[in-house]
Amino acid sequence: MAITPGTLKILALRQLVRPGPLYSWSQSFSTSLIHEKNIRAGQVKGTANKNKPLTYEQSQYPHLMGVTKSWNSWNTSNLDGEMAFAPHTTAEDTFIRKFMLGAWHDLFLTEVIIKRRQNMVIVAGFVKRVPQTRMLYFLKGFTEELLSHFLKRPVTVEIQTAGLRDLIHKYV
Amino acid sequence: MAASIGSFSTFSKWTCISQLLGRNYPIGYTCIVRHCSANAKENKKPASPTPDEVREWKKINWRAYATGRVRLQVPEDPDFPVMLIPGHSVLPQVLEKREQAKRPPMKLTQPRYRRMLPEQDWTDVWPTAHTFKWSVVPFPVRQGFVKPTESALPREKYGNAELMKIPNFLHLTPQHVQKHCAAIKKFCTPWPKALEDDTVCDKHFPLRVITRDYVADGPTMRDPRARFVTIQLKLSSLKLDEHAKDKFLKLVGDRYNKETDVLTLEADRCPVRKQNYEYTLYLLTALYHESWKQEPWEADQTEVDMIKFEWPLTTAKAKVLDTIIKIKQAQQEKGSKVPKILEDLPDTSSPDLIEKTEIIQEYKEVLSELYEHGEDVHQLEKYKNTTKKLLIGL
Repeated sequence: MAITPGTLKILALRQLVRPGPLYSWSQSFSTSLIHEKNIRAGQVKGTANKNKPLTYEQSQYPHLMGVTKSWNSWNTSNLDGEMAFAPHTTAEDTFIRKFMLGAWHDLFLTEVIIKRRQNMVIVAGFVKRVPQTRMLYFLKGFTEELLSHFLKRPVTVEIQTAGLRDLIHKYV
Repeated sequence: MAASIGSFSTFSKWTCISQLLGRNYPIGYTCIVRHCSANAKENKKPASPTPDEVREWKKINWRAYATGRVRLQVPEDPDFPVMLIPGHSVLPQVLEKREQAKRPPMKLTQPRYRRMLPEQDWTDVWPTAHTFKWSVVPFPVRQGFVKPTESALPREKYGNAELMKIPNFLHLTPQHVQKHCAAIKKFCTPWPKALEDDTVCDKHFPLRVITRDYVADGPTMRDPRARFVTIQLKLSSLKLDEHAKDKFLKLVGDRYNKETDVLTLEADRCPVRKQNYEYTLYLLTALYHESWKQEPWEADQTEVDMIKFEWPLTTAKAKVLDTIIKIKQAQQEKGSKVPKILEDLPDTSSPDLIEKTEIIQEYKEVLSELYEHGEDVHQLEKYKNTTKKLLIGL
């Protein structure tokens, strides 16, 4: 093997990586603070044709929560001294979202927004503007009735309708 | 929010055309026609499609055809009748009916904010707390992030979920508050005129009981923190003599605030609020009566046990008097110099008389201040000067 400057570099790098006594490579090893931001999680992958529609919420990165977009669950369980019901609240939120996903299948244009005020649970969001208005009214009553029974407290569904493409913020 | 589109996988445009020409004809397909009937009549041989026909085929929305949403419109030709397959072919009458059943496009009413009058009552429009409704709020409002490089405005209120998330106060305008007040006014009684002053209130109602109620969105309406009871009382409202107050303060410890003269008792040991309240009252009663009791061992208290500065108990008193008496005795000997200030002192035989003199009283006050307020430069300076005055006469 001919020794070229490139080979030398590789050899030097190998020397660097090889486990050995600390003093042999400590001079060329520098550290810095960890940039603790996983910017790949929760981001939507783009398409080649830039034709994948995103809502405003989807278009904002998760680490911008509370900066450019707000939370989907509004409750007091993260306040100081209010931790008693926090696990219940989180589990209930998951249950409500799953319920909405099934009962309002393919109807919600946004994420389900769950707000809690005093002992009330408010489920809000945008749904598709479908011709069957009676269906929406039925679903509203159905959801309120069933969730109130499950959660043992009043549940209100405050939905609004929008056109299919009206919530599209951008295409990726 | 991807709109679902019907699947269209195996059926391509060109297989459609070949089926239309009668080649590669699969049984079970609905409506197969030869469209080049005019050519076939004249030449009596299978004809290739003319450019016009090709253009026509290209106009056909094959995707819609394949999903069954549109049927081919076939011109009637006696020589080449449409092949009807029972159970599969769709008759023209059925086609017409299907077309009639098409729903006209939805007509939307105008949003409410466009139909509002300027002189309307907003409390009727938005009576209670509600999620933001774009169709009702009459003013233009935007929320959302736009990059500084983009010239676009933030998203408007229509279809803006961010506005639905944040709490709004559209149900708490001054008009709303006015209406609420008017509604609950009948349940209110006027404040007693005699109790308008806070000091009078404190005099008649010296005990303050603090409890907290909790409303939480949880599986139970009970909150363990609701059992906490705090009572507050000004110590001046209790009848205590010198000894009783001293004992009371010693029993109470840090529950008494010297600055505000307020005693605070807290209880959370019982499971129910009522029990805790009764326990605090019991504590207060017991404290009061205990502090009035004079136990035999209380006579053994020394200077260290006292909370306040007690001049008669201090060792300083004895030492000062002793020193002065010694100085006075030395004065009687020949050739000794005594500070002028001590020359006027009364006879050494009576310490009580010496104690009442001005210089000793001053020393006592300064020492008392030093104990009460703690040591600082000012106090120490005063103490130094008084001591010098007493001993050397400066």
